[in-house]
Amino acid sequence: MERDKHLPLTETVYYILLALIKPAHGYLIMQKVEELSGGQVRMAAGTLYGAIENLVKLKFIQPVASEDSRRKVYAITNKGLDILRLDMERMKHMINVTRDQLK
Amino acid sequence: MKKFKFFTNFDEEESWLNDMAKQGYHFTKKTMFGYEFKPGKPENAIIKMDYRTFKKREDFEDYCALFEDSGWEHIAGTKGSGYQYFKKADKQGSEEIFSDIDSKADRYRRLADMWVTLCCSFIPIFVALISTDSIDPGVLLDPKSLYLTPGLWDLNGMAFWRAFLFETPFALFRGFLWLIIPIMIILYLYFAFRAKKQYKNIQEDMITRK
Repeated sequence: MERDKHLPLTETVYYILLALIKPAHGYLIMQKVEELSGGQVRMAAGTLYGAIENLVKLKFIQPVASEDSRRKVYAITNKGLDILRLDMERMKHMINVTRDQLK
Repeated sequence: MKKFKFFTNFDEEESWLNDMAKQGYHFTKKTMFGYEFKPGKPENAIIKMDYRTFKKREDFEDYCALFEDSGWEHIAGTKGSGYQYFKKADKQGSEEIFSDIDSKADRYRRLADMWVTLCCSFIPIFVALISTDSIDPGVLLDPKSLYLTPGLWDLNGMAFWRAFLFETPFALFRGFLWLIIPIMIILYLYFAFRAKKQYKNIQEDMITRK
């Protein structure tokens, strides 16, 4: 089977998508990514802004209506959810084969 | 205080602005040709730069809000200026505005794109000047034709020199003003090339470090 060309996702992209299962604005994404990764992934503002822009272009996330007039709020799209699941399956497979081989 | 300076490297520009802050000059505004500073207390500032232009006002606001939320004060730059300057406002938090090499290099790619676009916008002007015969290469062979003072070439001695020197700036202006356009085109291409090179350097650094 042909693998989706966006796979594997980078660690930061994976966590951003995961963070956006609930809609959030930029800074909240940053905090959620840090929290979800157990403090392993810390994104700086410029890097996160570029990543968001890129994911919007890929239609993995989209801006949604927000009450905050200054901050844009984003949420994951169906396409984003699909890619997130595919990457999870990929990693699951890696974990399974590794476990078997290490036995 | 105003200072006129031009950089093609973000890291050098950042450290120059930090040095100025150390001497008590606080960067407040970037103009077309230079920088404006407000004298004050010397400060160990951390100023970082990004390069981005925005189509919509709200995109720019959202961008500034994200930096402010994460402890960076937006000190200079507008929606369309491209160059964006941030000063660290929080004691805590990251000392960088980029957490990976790719995004750090990407600002050079955006800068290079801007120079190429600017360069391309001058090419039609140049073509128009050529195709309407506004540029007369003949003046190089006959520079005398650029002087319009009646009877200039019949004058003698001081009278001649005075009239000649008086008109020379005007003659140069008439004959060679068009040169500004190709000079601009070449200059912009050079800046684009420099930015592209920085972009490649950073990416190659990353490969060798891996």
